[in-house]
Amino acid sequence: MQYKSQAVAKPYFIAAIALFVGQILFGLIMGYQYVVGDFLFPAIPFNVARMVHTNLLIVWLLFGFMGAAYYLIPEETETELYSPKLALITFWVFLAAGALTIVGYLMVPYATLAAMTGNDLLPTMGREFLEQPLPTKLGIVVVALSLLFNISMTVLKGRKTSISLVLLLGLWGLAVFFLFSFYNSHNLVLDKYFWWWTVHLWVEGVWELILGAMLAFVLIKITGVDREVIEKWLYVIIAMTLITGIIGTGHHYFWIGTPDYWQWFGSVFSALEPIPFFMMTVFAFNMVNRRRREHPNKAATLWALGTGVMAFLGAGVWGFLHTLAPVNYYTHGSQITAAHGHMAFYGAYVMVNLTMISYAMPMLRGRTANSGPAQTMEMWSFWLMTVSIVFITLFLTAAGILQIWLQRMGTNPMGFMDAQDQVRLFYWLREIAGFVFLTGLVLYIWSFFCKKGEAVKA
Amino acid sequence: MSETFTKAMARNIFYGGAVFFFLLFLGLTFDSMKALPKRDHRENITESVTRGKLIWETRNCVGCHTILGEGAYFAPELGNVYKRRGGDNGGAEFIKAWIQSQPTGVPGRRQMPQFHLNDQQLEDMVQFLKWTSEVNTGTWPPNIEG
Amino acid sequence: MDNTRAHPQILATPPGDLAIWFFIYAELLAFGVFFVAYAFARAHNVELFNESQQHLNRASGAINTLVLITSSYFVVRGVAAIQRGYSTLCARWLAAAIGLGGVFLAIKLHEFDAVFSAGISLSTNTFYMFYLSLTLFHFMHVILGMVILFAVMLKAQRGGYSAEEHRGVETGASYWHMVDLLWIILFPLVYVIH
Repeated sequence: MQYKSQAVAKPYFIAAIALFVGQILFGLIMGYQYVVGDFLFPAIPFNVARMVHTNLLIVWLLFGFMGAAYYLIPEETETELYSPKLALITFWVFLAAGALTIVGYLMVPYATLAAMTGNDLLPTMGREFLEQPLPTKLGIVVVALSLLFNISMTVLKGRKTSISLVLLLGLWGLAVFFLFSFYNSHNLVLDKYFWWWTVHLWVEGVWELILGAMLAFVLIKITGVDREVIEKWLYVIIAMTLITGIIGTGHHYFWIGTPDYWQWFGSVFSALEPIPFFMMTVFAFNMVNRRRREHPNKAATLWALGTGVMAFLGAGVWGFLHTLAPVNYYTHGSQITAAHGHMAFYGAYVMVNLTMISYAMPMLRGRTANSGPAQTMEMWSFWLMTVSIVFITLFLTAAGILQIWLQRMGTNPMGFMDAQDQVRLFYWLREIAGFVFLTGLVLYIWSFFCKKGEAVKA
Repeated sequence: MSETFTKAMARNIFYGGAVFFFLLFLGLTFDSMKALPKRDHRENITESVTRGKLIWETRNCVGCHTILGEGAYFAPELGNVYKRRGGDNGGAEFIKAWIQSQPTGVPGRRQMPQFHLNDQQLEDMVQFLKWTSEVNTGTWPPNIEG
Repeated sequence: MDNTRAHPQILATPPGDLAIWFFIYAELLAFGVFFVAYAFARAHNVELFNESQQHLNRASGAINTLVLITSSYFVVRGVAAIQRGYSTLCARWLAAAIGLGGVFLAIKLHEFDAVFSAGISLSTNTFYMFYLSLTLFHFMHVILGMVILFAVMLKAQRGGYSAEEHRGVETGASYWHMVDLLWIILFPLVYVIH
């Protein structure tokens, strides 16, 4: 750690990992409800568990992004953070808002929560991923503005590198496109159309800028490759991301009442969306192969390479599988979508956060890298989590193909629940893979407390 | 390679490309907004439909079901449920009776909560699902099972 | 043209910044996919496509083809000029090319005006969806190409390029030739071929 104020990243990373654990536990509850339908009913109905699962994911990824921003901006700009105190206050505000929201989901019926929190004033709740009550949504805006103010002021007074500019652009985009979550037409088609401006333009747009900046930062640090080279790659990758991804929004506009031409636009542009992810994989491996130093943190290198590969597989390949309109006609809203969602989020955003944490956390704890045994343990957790997410994806893909075959093809299609009964085996297998994932996550956390061996001194 | 491939050029392509395609996206959005009224039949959105959508949202229905294919994949697609359950000949009655009879309580089966909707709210829910089933979705879903 | 050949660097690597070539390949890929999609859609609706095609203004399309080819020639002359170190001459040729780009846009706008006032939109039928998408998409590329050429022209005017260092001119020229090339494919494909 070169700058004192970087220390504010630490609570962000710790909170991120804690919420990650919560996300996985609720994922396991849902996975079990898929096979034993009345599990925990009516205490935690499926829709509540899902809301907690997805919202925790979003919030912990945001914690990770923010921690990453506070960690890497001082080093990039070569100056202390504008206001470390503000960053800490923001942390507690965000954590309190997040925790209260989750408690609200679990303790109060959703309709009551909506009435309590002023959803009548401006109805924004009850839409996938944007279920947060109005005060939470406003809180997210305040937190984002506070972060942007702090980071922007730091960049203004310091060195302006491409990495910090791209990160800043990504964070600004994140805040701007979140504003569409406040728009909710009584016309479902319009509602959906602009709902995607938050959801798609986040995960297939501005978040990828943040991802790219984080990955580029870690790669510079662990490989020692010339900044010029890495930043050039970064620009090319994010250029391709936005060139394909913005019109690629069209792959969500196939069947929700929008004009038919989106089937062409969406198919063509989203078919090109794997390109930036493929470039990212090539980029990561290329930089590591051309490394000019042997960084003692092998685990961080592994996470960085893993991000490239898994983002390409999850977002690129599994996205492409069902993105062409004639295919999507059958796969839309099936378990195929769930399969893609799991591997894409893990491969791109979970892994880039874990990459950042893996690199930064030892520094924040006053060492260059963890001890050999601790790193070995972390690498084991990498493989356990990554392999199990691959299996979760494969099982869900199998479930999806069977579901589509039974429910959507042929002259005598099955009803939804009848088809679900036929694919139970795959849901059981998915749940088992889920427990392996949890094992990996426990091991991951354990690696932070591993006392064996000598840490590499800073 | 580094001599003929400048970072400034890569940066220009990024900014130029992003602006260019965002403008294209805005253009297509503008055209979509003009074309939508014919496809979503917004003239049929009554106050009852509007209230129904709010009930749909505040009961977090999308946490289990899909609507026009979006949502969770735990419970059936409801974009076309009005038509699946009889349309103008019994669709409304079926939906109301179904919501009122939940949860089934069958051991081991997936359960839907009881939402205690009154008659007006049930009617609003039906009106919302009826309007949704009439949106032109380009023939999706492939069949009535959703 | 002989001057271009004589330049040793041209033979070794593609002219201009390598980054623009990634971009050009990406553009060609995107248009290529659209052209294939067009052919695919046409194969399923031959009659609709042939019928709708009758209503297009082929004359304006043909004139525009000539306009773009000529402008590309002007750009070539501009590159040749800077290779001999004539900055002002280069800027003038580029200005002429930009002017022709403007002519292209004017003719195209006239054509679009007629189409839109006939009440045709992206949703009219599959043929018009492709016709409007491809030509509007290309239209925006012409504007972008003009912006790039304009930036290059300003720098040339200020004497920012020389016989030794003029990669910026080659970069802009490469992009403009791509815009021209796309139209040369687009015009027969959409306006002419039955």
